[in-house]
Amino acid sequence: MITTDASLILDVNQISVYYGQFQAVKEVSFNVRPGEIFGLLGPNGAGKTSTLSAIEGLLKPHAGTITVAGYDVVKQPLEAKANMGVQLQSTSYQPELTITDILRLFAGIYGVKLTSAEITKKLEDIQLLDAVGKKFGQLSGGQQQRVSLLIATIHNPVLVLLDEPTTGLDPQSRRQLWERIEGIREQGHGVLLTTHSMEEAEAVCDRIAIIDHGRIIAIDTPERLIDLHREDPEVISVSRKGKITLEDVFIGLTGRAVRS
Amino acid sequence: MAIQIPATKEVLTALIRADFTTVWRNRRSLRLVLAVPLIILISWKGLVSHLGAFVVLSSVLTIGLTSIGLMGYTNSIARDRDKGVFQRLRVAPVSSWTIMFSRISVQVALIAVMTLLVFTVGYAVDGIRISALGYVTGFLMTLLAGCLYLGLGQLITGLIKNPETVNSTTRLVYFAFIMVGMFGQFGVLGDVVKYFVIWSPYGVVQKALAGSLQPLTWTMDHTLAVAGILAYTLVFVGLGVKYFKWDNK
Repeated sequence: MITTDASLILDVNQISVYYGQFQAVKEVSFNVRPGEIFGLLGPNGAGKTSTLSAIEGLLKPHAGTITVAGYDVVKQPLEAKANMGVQLQSTSYQPELTITDILRLFAGIYGVKLTSAEITKKLEDIQLLDAVGKKFGQLSGGQQQRVSLLIATIHNPVLVLLDEPTTGLDPQSRRQLWERIEGIREQGHGVLLTTHSMEEAEAVCDRIAIIDHGRIIAIDTPERLIDLHREDPEVISVSRKGKITLEDVFIGLTGRAVRS
Repeated sequence: MAIQIPATKEVLTALIRADFTTVWRNRRSLRLVLAVPLIILISWKGLVSHLGAFVVLSSVLTIGLTSIGLMGYTNSIARDRDKGVFQRLRVAPVSSWTIMFSRISVQVALIAVMTLLVFTVGYAVDGIRISALGYVTGFLMTLLAGCLYLGLGQLITGLIKNPETVNSTTRLVYFAFIMVGMFGQFGVLGDVVKYFVIWSPYGVVQKALAGSLQPLTWTMDHTLAVAGILAYTLVFVGLGVKYFKWDNK
Protein backbone atom coordinates (compact mmCIF):
# COMPACT_ATOMS: atom_id res chain seq x y z
CA MET A 1 0.00 0.00 0.00
CA ILE A 2 1.30 3.45 -0.90
CA THR A 3 1.01 6.11 1.74
CA THR A 4 2.48 9.59 1.95
CA ASP A 5 3.20 11.69 5.00
CA ALA A 6 2.57 15.39 4.38
CA SER A 7 5.14 16.42 7.02
CA LEU A 8 7.95 14.82 5.04
CA ILE A 9 9.97 17.03 2.75
CA LEU A 10 10.74 14.14 0.43
CA ASP A 11 8.84 10.89 0.34
CA VAL A 12 10.08 8.19 -2.02
CA ASN A 13 7.65 5.30 -1.99
CA GLN A 14 8.30 1.93 -3.65
CA ILE A 15 9.80 3.37 -6.86
CA SER A 16 11.10 1.20 -9.67
CA VAL A 17 13.10 2.41 -12.65
CA TYR A 18 13.78 0.39 -15.79
CA TYR A 19 16.11 0.93 -18.73
CA GLY A 20 14.55 -1.36 -21.32
CA GLN A 21 14.45 -4.77 -19.64
CA PHE A 22 17.03 -3.84 -17.01
CA GLN A 23 15.63 -2.82 -13.63
CA ALA A 24 18.00 -0.22 -12.20
CA VAL A 25 15.91 0.69 -9.13
CA LYS A 26 13.82 -1.95 -7.33
CA GLU A 27 10.97 -0.77 -5.08
CA VAL A 28 13.08 1.78 -3.27
CA SER A 29 11.52 3.69 -0.36
CA PHE A 30 12.95 6.33 1.94
CA ASN A 31 12.15 9.82 3.13
CA VAL A 32 13.82 13.03 4.19
CA ARG A 33 12.50 14.99 7.13
CA PRO A 34 12.74 18.71 7.83
CA GLY A 35 16.16 19.65 9.23
CA GLU A 36 17.76 16.38 8.13
CA ILE A 37 20.74 15.53 5.95
CA PHE A 38 20.10 12.17 4.34
CA GLY A 39 22.90 10.34 2.54
CA LEU A 40 22.39 7.89 -0.30
CA LEU A 41 25.42 5.65 -0.59
CA GLY A 42 26.18 2.89 -3.03
CA PRO A 43 28.85 1.49 -5.33
CA ASN A 44 29.00 2.57 -8.97
CA GLY A 45 25.93 1.39 -10.87
CA ALA A 46 23.99 0.64 -7.68
CA GLY A 47 21.04 2.87 -8.65
CA LYS A 48 21.89 6.14 -6.84
CA THR A 49 21.85 8.38 -9.90
CA SER A 50 18.73 6.72 -11.30
CA THR A 51 16.95 7.27 -7.96
CA LEU A 52 18.12 10.87 -7.85
CA SER A 53 17.13 11.43 -11.50
CA ALA A 54 13.63 10.16 -10.73
CA ILE A 55 13.36 12.59 -7.79
CA GLU A 56 14.64 15.44 -9.97
CA GLY A 57 12.03 14.60 -12.60
CA LEU A 58 14.62 13.75 -15.26
CA LEU A 59 13.21 10.26 -15.64
CA LYS A 60 9.82 8.80 -14.86
CA PRO A 61 9.65 5.88 -12.43
CA HIS A 62 7.76 2.88 -13.79
CA ALA A 63 6.13 2.28 -10.41
CA GLY A 64 5.81 4.00 -7.05
CA THR A 65 5.43 7.64 -6.07
CA ILE A 66 7.73 10.51 -5.15
CA THR A 67 6.49 13.63 -3.40
CA VAL A 68 8.45 16.80 -2.66
CA ALA A 69 6.83 19.14 -0.12
CA GLY A 70 3.61 17.23 -0.78
CA TYR A 71 3.79 17.61 -4.59
CA ASP A 72 3.92 14.50 -6.75
CA VAL A 73 6.96 14.81 -9.04
CA VAL A 74 5.16 13.04 -11.90
CA LYS A 75 1.74 14.68 -11.62
CA GLN A 76 2.89 18.14 -10.45
CA PRO A 77 6.45 18.36 -11.78
CA LEU A 78 6.78 22.15 -11.83
CA GLU A 79 5.46 22.54 -8.27
CA ALA A 80 7.79 19.80 -7.07
CA LYS A 81 10.79 21.32 -8.89
CA ALA A 82 9.99 24.78 -7.53
CA ASN A 83 10.43 23.34 -4.04
CA MET A 84 13.76 21.66 -4.62
CA GLY A 85 17.23 22.94 -5.35
CA VAL A 86 19.56 20.71 -7.30
CA GLN A 87 23.30 20.47 -7.64
CA LEU A 88 24.04 17.98 -10.39
CA GLN A 89 27.21 15.90 -10.43
CA SER A 90 28.58 17.69 -13.49
CA THR A 91 26.83 21.00 -13.62
CA SER A 92 27.41 23.15 -16.64
CA TYR A 93 26.14 26.50 -17.78
CA GLN A 94 26.50 28.28 -21.10
CA PRO A 95 30.26 29.01 -21.23
CA GLU A 96 29.65 32.56 -22.48
CA LEU A 97 27.77 33.59 -19.32
CA THR A 98 29.47 35.21 -16.34
CA ILE A 99 28.69 34.16 -12.77
CA THR A 100 26.45 37.23 -12.43
CA ASP A 101 24.59 36.29 -15.64
CA ILE A 102 24.09 32.74 -14.35
CA LEU A 103 22.79 33.98 -11.00
CA ARG A 104 20.37 36.33 -12.77
CA LEU A 105 19.22 33.49 -15.05
CA PHE A 106 18.45 31.09 -12.22
CA ALA A 107 16.97 33.77 -9.98
CA GLY A 108 14.57 34.55 -12.86
CA ILE A 109 13.80 30.89 -13.44
CA TYR A 110 12.92 30.40 -9.77
CA GLY A 111 10.97 33.67 -9.62
CA VAL A 112 13.43 35.37 -7.26
CA LYS A 113 14.01 39.07 -7.79
CA LEU A 114 17.65 40.00 -7.14
CA THR A 115 19.15 43.46 -7.36
CA SER A 116 22.80 43.92 -8.31
CA ALA A 117 23.56 44.70 -4.66
CA GLU A 118 21.90 41.46 -3.56
CA ILE A 119 23.90 39.47 -6.11
CA THR A 120 27.09 41.08 -4.86
CA LYS A 121 26.12 40.24 -1.26
CA LYS A 122 25.44 36.61 -2.16
CA LEU A 123 28.80 36.29 -3.89
CA GLU A 124 30.47 37.97 -0.93
CA ASP A 125 28.84 35.41 1.38
CA ILE A 126 30.52 32.57 -0.51
CA GLN A 127 33.80 34.51 -0.79
CA LEU A 128 33.55 34.90 -4.54
CA LEU A 129 33.21 38.63 -4.89
CA ASP A 130 36.17 38.73 -7.26
CA ALA A 131 34.40 36.23 -9.55
CA VAL A 132 31.58 38.60 -10.52
CA GLY A 133 32.75 39.02 -14.11
CA LYS A 134 34.31 35.59 -14.49
CA LYS A 135 32.89 32.72 -16.49
CA PHE A 136 31.99 29.48 -14.69
CA GLY A 137 34.77 27.58 -16.49
CA GLN A 138 37.36 30.05 -15.17
CA LEU A 139 36.66 29.11 -11.55
CA SER A 140 38.47 26.41 -9.56
CA GLY A 141 36.63 23.21 -8.64
CA GLY A 142 35.88 24.48 -5.13
CA GLN A 143 34.63 27.82 -6.43
CA GLN A 144 32.41 26.07 -8.99
CA GLN A 145 30.88 23.93 -6.25
CA ARG A 146 30.19 27.03 -4.13
CA VAL A 147 28.48 28.74 -7.06
CA SER A 148 26.48 25.60 -7.86
CA LEU A 149 25.32 25.31 -4.25
CA LEU A 150 24.41 29.00 -4.21
CA ILE A 151 22.32 28.51 -7.36
CA ALA A 152 20.72 25.38 -5.92
CA THR A 153 19.61 27.34 -2.86
CA ILE A 154 18.91 30.72 -4.48
CA HIS A 155 15.14 30.28 -3.98
CA ASN A 156 15.48 28.94 -0.44
CA PRO A 157 14.03 25.51 -1.29
CA VAL A 158 12.71 23.08 1.30
CA LEU A 159 14.69 20.23 -0.25
CA VAL A 160 18.24 20.39 -1.60
CA LEU A 161 19.58 17.52 -3.72
CA LEU A 162 23.35 17.26 -3.92
CA ASP A 163 24.92 14.69 -6.23
CA GLU A 164 28.47 13.97 -5.02
CA PRO A 165 29.02 17.62 -4.07
CA THR A 166 32.57 17.31 -2.73
CA THR A 167 34.13 15.08 -5.38
CA GLY A 168 37.51 16.47 -6.40
CA LEU A 169 37.66 19.13 -3.69
CA ASP A 170 40.64 19.75 -1.43
CA PRO A 171 40.09 19.21 2.34
CA GLN A 172 39.60 22.94 3.04
CA SER A 173 36.98 23.36 0.32
CA ARG A 174 35.27 20.16 1.42
CA ARG A 175 35.04 21.29 5.05
CA GLN A 176 33.69 24.65 3.93
CA LEU A 177 31.04 22.95 1.80
CA TRP A 178 30.06 20.69 4.71
CA GLU A 179 29.48 23.79 6.82
CA ARG A 180 27.26 25.25 4.14
CA ILE A 181 25.29 22.00 3.89
CA GLU A 182 24.90 21.98 7.67
CA GLY A 183 23.71 25.58 7.43
CA ILE A 184 20.88 24.42 5.14
CA ARG A 185 19.89 21.85 7.78
CA GLU A 186 19.91 24.51 10.49
CA GLN A 187 17.33 26.46 8.50
CA GLY A 188 15.00 23.45 8.84
CA HIS A 189 15.39 22.35 5.23
CA GLY A 190 16.08 18.82 4.10
CA VAL A 191 19.17 17.69 2.19
CA LEU A 192 19.56 14.53 0.16
CA LEU A 193 23.14 13.91 -0.88
CA THR A 194 24.88 11.10 -2.66
CA THR A 195 28.52 10.47 -1.94
CA HIS A 196 31.28 7.92 -2.27
CA SER A 197 33.01 9.36 0.78
CA MET A 198 32.22 7.44 3.95
CA GLU A 199 34.01 10.14 5.89
CA GLU A 200 31.59 12.68 4.48
CA ALA A 201 28.58 10.48 5.23
CA GLU A 202 29.70 10.02 8.83
CA ALA A 203 30.57 13.69 9.23
CA VAL A 204 27.42 15.35 7.93
CA CYS A 205 24.59 12.84 7.42
CA ASP A 206 21.93 12.32 10.07
CA ARG A 207 20.72 9.16 8.34
CA ILE A 208 22.02 7.16 5.44
CA ALA A 209 20.69 4.53 3.09
CA ILE A 210 22.97 2.04 1.36
CA ILE A 211 21.72 1.04 -2.05
CA ASP A 212 23.07 -1.87 -4.04
CA HIS A 213 21.84 -3.64 -7.18
CA GLY A 214 18.89 -1.24 -7.18
CA ARG A 215 17.69 -2.10 -3.66
CA ILE A 216 18.13 -0.36 -0.33
CA ILE A 217 19.95 -2.86 1.84
CA ALA A 218 20.37 -0.73 4.97
CA ILE A 219 18.95 2.50 6.28
CA ASP A 220 19.70 4.16 9.62
CA THR A 221 21.98 6.68 11.35
CA PRO A 222 25.69 6.10 10.64
CA GLU A 223 26.31 5.21 14.29
CA ARG A 224 23.49 2.66 14.46
CA LEU A 225 24.55 1.09 11.15
CA ILE A 226 28.03 0.56 12.56
CA ASP A 227 26.60 -0.85 15.81
CA LEU A 228 24.16 -3.14 13.99
CA HIS A 229 26.80 -4.65 11.72
CA ARG A 230 29.96 -4.62 13.84
CA GLU A 231 29.63 -8.37 14.51
CA ASP A 232 28.95 -9.36 10.88
CA PRO A 233 31.73 -11.66 9.65
CA GLU A 234 31.81 -9.85 6.25
CA VAL A 235 32.29 -6.53 8.01
CA ILE A 236 34.97 -7.84 10.38
CA SER A 237 36.82 -9.46 7.47
CA VAL A 238 37.20 -6.14 5.64
CA SER A 239 38.11 -4.12 8.74
CA ARG A 240 41.64 -2.73 8.38
CA LYS A 241 42.61 -1.30 11.74
CA GLY A 242 40.60 -3.32 14.21
CA LYS A 243 38.08 -0.51 14.59
CA ILE A 244 34.85 -0.90 12.61
CA THR A 245 34.12 2.11 10.44
CA LEU A 246 31.20 3.04 8.18
CA GLU A 247 33.38 2.13 5.21
CA ASP A 248 33.86 -1.39 6.64
CA VAL A 249 30.08 -1.72 7.00
CA PHE A 250 29.58 -0.41 3.47
CA ILE A 251 32.10 -2.82 1.92
CA GLY A 252 30.88 -5.65 4.12
CA LEU A 253 27.33 -5.14 2.89
CA THR A 254 28.04 -4.41 -0.77
CA GLY A 255 31.04 -6.71 -1.29
CA ARG A 256 34.72 -6.21 -2.16
CA ALA A 257 34.30 -6.51 -5.91
CA VAL A 258 35.12 -3.33 -7.84
CA ARG A 259 32.11 -2.07 -9.79
CA SER A 260 32.45 -0.59 -13.23
CA MET B 1 6.07 26.91 3.40
CA ALA B 2 5.76 25.55 -0.12
CA ILE B 3 7.17 27.69 -2.95
CA GLN B 4 4.83 28.55 -5.83
CA ILE B 5 5.73 28.00 -9.50
CA PRO B 6 7.26 31.18 -10.97
CA ALA B 7 5.26 32.95 -13.69
CA THR B 8 5.99 31.76 -17.24
CA LYS B 9 6.71 35.35 -18.29
CA GLU B 10 9.43 35.66 -15.64
CA VAL B 11 10.99 32.34 -16.65
CA LEU B 12 10.91 33.19 -20.36
CA THR B 13 12.40 36.63 -19.74
CA ALA B 14 15.31 35.10 -17.81
CA LEU B 15 15.91 32.42 -20.47
CA ILE B 16 15.70 34.79 -23.44
CA ARG B 17 18.03 37.31 -21.78
CA ALA B 18 20.59 34.56 -21.11
CA ASP B 19 20.28 33.15 -24.64
CA PHE B 20 20.71 36.59 -26.22
CA THR B 21 23.72 37.23 -24.00
CA THR B 22 25.20 33.90 -25.11
CA VAL B 23 24.81 34.76 -28.80
CA TRP B 24 26.15 38.29 -28.27
CA ARG B 25 29.24 37.07 -26.37
CA ASN B 26 29.83 34.48 -29.07
CA ARG B 27 30.48 37.26 -31.56
CA ARG B 28 32.95 35.40 -33.75
CA SER B 29 30.31 32.83 -34.61
CA LEU B 30 27.69 35.58 -34.93
CA ARG B 31 29.85 37.55 -37.37
CA LEU B 32 30.55 34.42 -39.41
CA VAL B 33 26.88 33.51 -39.70
CA LEU B 34 25.98 37.05 -40.79
CA ALA B 35 29.04 37.60 -42.96
CA VAL B 36 28.56 34.66 -45.36
CA PRO B 37 25.39 35.98 -47.07
CA LEU B 38 26.75 39.54 -47.12
CA ILE B 39 30.04 38.49 -48.72
CA ILE B 40 28.15 36.54 -51.39
CA LEU B 41 25.80 39.48 -51.94
CA ILE B 42 28.66 41.93 -52.42
CA SER B 43 30.63 39.55 -54.65
CA TRP B 44 27.53 38.95 -56.80
CA LYS B 45 27.13 42.66 -57.55
CA GLY B 46 28.11 42.09 -61.16
CA LEU B 47 25.56 39.27 -61.52
CA VAL B 48 22.55 41.39 -60.54
CA SER B 49 22.00 42.55 -64.12
CA HIS B 50 22.37 38.98 -65.49
CA LEU B 51 20.39 36.98 -62.92
CA GLY B 52 17.98 39.63 -61.76
CA ALA B 53 17.77 41.38 -58.40
CA PHE B 54 15.13 39.00 -57.05
CA VAL B 55 17.14 35.87 -57.82
CA VAL B 56 20.26 37.37 -56.22
CA LEU B 57 18.44 38.56 -53.09
CA SER B 58 16.46 35.34 -52.65
CA SER B 59 19.56 33.17 -53.17
CA VAL B 60 21.57 35.19 -50.66
CA LEU B 61 18.75 35.09 -48.10
CA THR B 62 18.47 31.32 -48.58
CA ILE B 63 22.20 30.95 -47.92
CA GLY B 64 21.84 33.16 -44.82
CA LEU B 65 18.98 31.03 -43.51
CA THR B 66 21.03 27.89 -44.09
CA SER B 67 23.93 29.43 -42.13
CA ILE B 68 21.74 30.36 -39.16
CA GLY B 69 19.71 27.15 -39.08
CA LEU B 70 22.55 24.71 -39.62
CA MET B 71 25.65 26.41 -38.26
CA GLY B 72 24.17 28.53 -35.47
CA TYR B 73 21.12 26.81 -33.98
CA THR B 74 22.11 23.17 -34.52
CA ASN B 75 25.61 23.45 -33.10
CA SER B 76 24.50 25.48 -30.06
CA ILE B 77 21.84 22.90 -29.21
CA ALA B 78 24.27 19.99 -29.65
CA ARG B 79 26.94 21.71 -27.53
CA ASP B 80 24.62 22.65 -24.66
CA ARG B 81 23.07 19.20 -24.58
CA ASP B 82 26.51 17.62 -24.44
CA LYS B 83 27.66 19.92 -21.64
CA GLY B 84 24.55 19.24 -19.56
CA VAL B 85 23.21 22.81 -19.79
CA PHE B 86 19.73 21.53 -20.63
CA GLN B 87 19.72 19.01 -17.80
CA ARG B 88 20.49 21.79 -15.31
CA LEU B 89 17.60 23.83 -16.69
CA ARG B 90 15.25 20.84 -16.67
CA VAL B 91 15.69 20.17 -12.95
CA ALA B 92 14.37 23.71 -12.38
CA PRO B 93 10.65 24.56 -12.67
CA VAL B 94 10.96 25.17 -16.41
CA SER B 95 8.76 23.54 -19.05
CA SER B 96 10.67 22.03 -21.94
CA TRP B 97 8.79 24.22 -24.41
CA THR B 98 10.02 27.41 -22.72
CA ILE B 99 13.65 26.31 -23.12
CA MET B 100 13.13 25.67 -26.84
CA PHE B 101 10.96 28.75 -27.34
CA SER B 102 13.73 30.91 -25.93
CA ARG B 103 16.37 29.29 -28.16
CA ILE B 104 14.20 29.66 -31.26
CA SER B 105 13.33 33.28 -30.42
CA VAL B 106 17.01 34.17 -30.51
CA GLN B 107 17.41 32.48 -33.91
CA VAL B 108 14.32 34.23 -35.29
CA ALA B 109 15.79 37.55 -34.15
CA LEU B 110 19.04 36.63 -35.91
CA ILE B 111 17.11 35.82 -39.08
CA ALA B 112 15.41 39.23 -38.86
CA VAL B 113 18.78 40.98 -38.43
CA MET B 114 20.33 39.00 -41.31
CA THR B 115 17.38 39.84 -43.60
CA LEU B 116 17.55 43.56 -42.80
CA LEU B 117 21.33 43.55 -43.36
CA VAL B 118 20.91 41.80 -46.73
CA PHE B 119 18.23 44.31 -47.77
CA THR B 120 20.41 47.22 -46.67
CA VAL B 121 23.63 45.98 -48.30
CA GLY B 122 21.69 44.97 -51.42
CA TYR B 123 20.29 48.48 -51.65
CA ALA B 124 23.50 50.33 -50.81
CA VAL B 125 26.16 48.20 -52.51
CA ASP B 126 24.40 46.27 -55.28
CA GLY B 127 21.90 49.01 -56.09
CA ILE B 128 18.96 46.62 -55.75
CA ARG B 129 15.64 48.45 -55.67
CA ILE B 130 12.38 46.62 -54.90
CA SER B 131 8.97 47.87 -53.80
CA ALA B 132 8.15 48.61 -50.16
CA LEU B 133 5.58 45.81 -50.29
CA GLY B 134 8.29 43.49 -51.62
CA TYR B 135 10.50 44.28 -48.65
CA VAL B 136 7.66 43.57 -46.22
CA THR B 137 6.51 40.30 -47.81
CA GLY B 138 10.10 39.25 -48.38
CA PHE B 139 10.88 39.86 -44.71
CA LEU B 140 7.86 37.82 -43.58
CA MET B 141 8.68 35.00 -46.00
CA THR B 142 12.25 34.87 -44.67
CA LEU B 143 10.88 34.30 -41.17
CA LEU B 144 8.62 31.50 -42.45
CA ALA B 145 11.39 29.92 -44.51
CA GLY B 146 13.70 30.15 -41.48
CA CYS B 147 11.45 27.60 -39.77
CA LEU B 148 12.44 25.04 -42.40
CA TYR B 149 16.14 25.36 -41.64
CA LEU B 150 15.61 25.51 -37.88
CA GLY B 151 13.50 22.36 -38.32
CA LEU B 152 16.31 20.73 -40.29
CA GLY B 153 18.69 21.65 -37.48
CA GLN B 154 16.28 20.13 -34.98
CA LEU B 155 16.16 16.95 -37.06
CA ILE B 156 19.96 16.70 -37.11
CA THR B 157 20.21 17.14 -33.32
CA GLY B 158 17.38 14.62 -32.95
CA LEU B 159 19.12 11.96 -35.00
CA ILE B 160 22.71 12.61 -33.90
CA LYS B 161 23.86 13.03 -30.29
CA ASN B 162 27.60 13.51 -30.51
CA PRO B 163 28.26 17.28 -30.89
CA GLU B 164 31.32 16.72 -33.09
CA THR B 165 29.34 14.49 -35.43
CA VAL B 166 26.55 17.10 -35.44
CA ASN B 167 29.14 19.76 -36.31
CA SER B 168 30.63 17.79 -39.19
CA THR B 169 27.18 16.79 -40.46
CA THR B 170 25.91 20.37 -40.50
CA ARG B 171 29.05 21.51 -42.35
CA LEU B 172 28.54 18.76 -44.92
CA VAL B 173 24.83 19.54 -45.35
CA TYR B 174 25.60 23.27 -45.48
CA PHE B 175 28.23 22.76 -48.15
CA ALA B 176 25.95 20.45 -50.14
CA PHE B 177 23.04 22.88 -49.93
CA ILE B 178 25.08 25.86 -51.04
CA MET B 179 27.12 24.20 -53.75
CA VAL B 180 24.49 21.87 -55.20
CA GLY B 181 21.74 24.44 -54.61
CA MET B 182 23.54 27.39 -56.17
CA PHE B 183 25.03 25.60 -59.14
CA GLY B 184 22.07 23.27 -59.52
CA GLN B 185 19.49 26.04 -59.74
CA PHE B 186 21.36 27.65 -62.62
CA GLY B 187 21.47 24.34 -64.50
CA VAL B 188 25.28 24.01 -64.26
CA LEU B 189 24.91 20.45 -62.94
CA GLY B 190 22.40 19.32 -65.55
CA ASP B 191 18.62 19.22 -65.92
CA VAL B 192 18.02 16.30 -63.55
CA VAL B 193 19.91 17.97 -60.71
CA LYS B 194 18.18 21.26 -61.52
CA TYR B 195 14.77 19.58 -61.17
CA PHE B 196 15.69 18.07 -57.79
CA VAL B 197 17.20 21.34 -56.58
CA ILE B 198 14.00 23.23 -57.43
CA TRP B 199 12.02 20.95 -55.10
CA SER B 200 14.75 20.60 -52.49
CA PRO B 201 14.66 22.60 -49.20
CA TYR B 202 17.09 25.01 -50.88
CA GLY B 203 14.98 25.37 -54.02
CA VAL B 204 11.56 25.87 -52.44
CA VAL B 205 12.93 28.51 -50.06
CA GLN B 206 14.73 30.34 -52.86
CA LYS B 207 11.63 30.21 -55.10
CA ALA B 208 9.21 31.36 -52.40
CA LEU B 209 11.56 34.18 -51.37
CA ALA B 210 11.99 35.32 -54.98
CA GLY B 211 8.19 35.41 -55.33
CA SER B 212 7.64 37.23 -52.05
CA LEU B 213 10.12 39.96 -53.02
CA GLN B 214 7.93 40.76 -56.06
CA PRO B 215 4.44 39.96 -54.73
CA LEU B 216 2.63 41.44 -57.72
CA THR B 217 4.04 38.71 -59.98
CA TRP B 218 3.15 35.85 -57.59
CA THR B 219 2.32 32.58 -59.45
CA MET B 220 1.11 29.07 -58.68
CA ASP B 221 4.76 27.92 -58.67
CA HIS B 222 5.42 30.26 -55.75
CA THR B 223 2.39 28.91 -53.90
CA LEU B 224 3.68 25.37 -54.44
CA ALA B 225 7.07 26.46 -53.14
CA VAL B 226 5.42 27.79 -49.95
CA ALA B 227 3.54 24.48 -49.65
CA GLY B 228 6.90 22.76 -49.99
CA ILE B 229 8.36 24.89 -47.19
CA LEU B 230 5.45 23.98 -44.92
CA ALA B 231 5.68 20.28 -45.79
CA TYR B 232 9.46 20.11 -45.22
CA THR B 233 9.10 22.07 -41.95
CA LEU B 234 6.39 19.74 -40.66
CA VAL B 235 8.44 16.64 -41.47
CA PHE B 236 11.72 18.03 -40.07
CA VAL B 237 10.17 19.43 -36.89
CA GLY B 238 7.98 16.33 -36.37
CA LEU B 239 10.89 13.92 -36.66
CA GLY B 240 13.29 16.29 -34.88
CA VAL B 241 11.04 16.62 -31.85
CA LYS B 242 10.20 12.90 -31.84
CA TYR B 243 13.81 11.76 -31.77
CA PHE B 244 15.28 14.64 -29.74
CA LYS B 245 16.81 13.68 -26.39
CA TRP B 246 17.59 16.29 -23.76
CA ASP B 247 20.42 14.40 -22.13
CA ASN B 248 23.82 13.49 -23.50
CA LYS B 249 23.71 9.79 -22.63
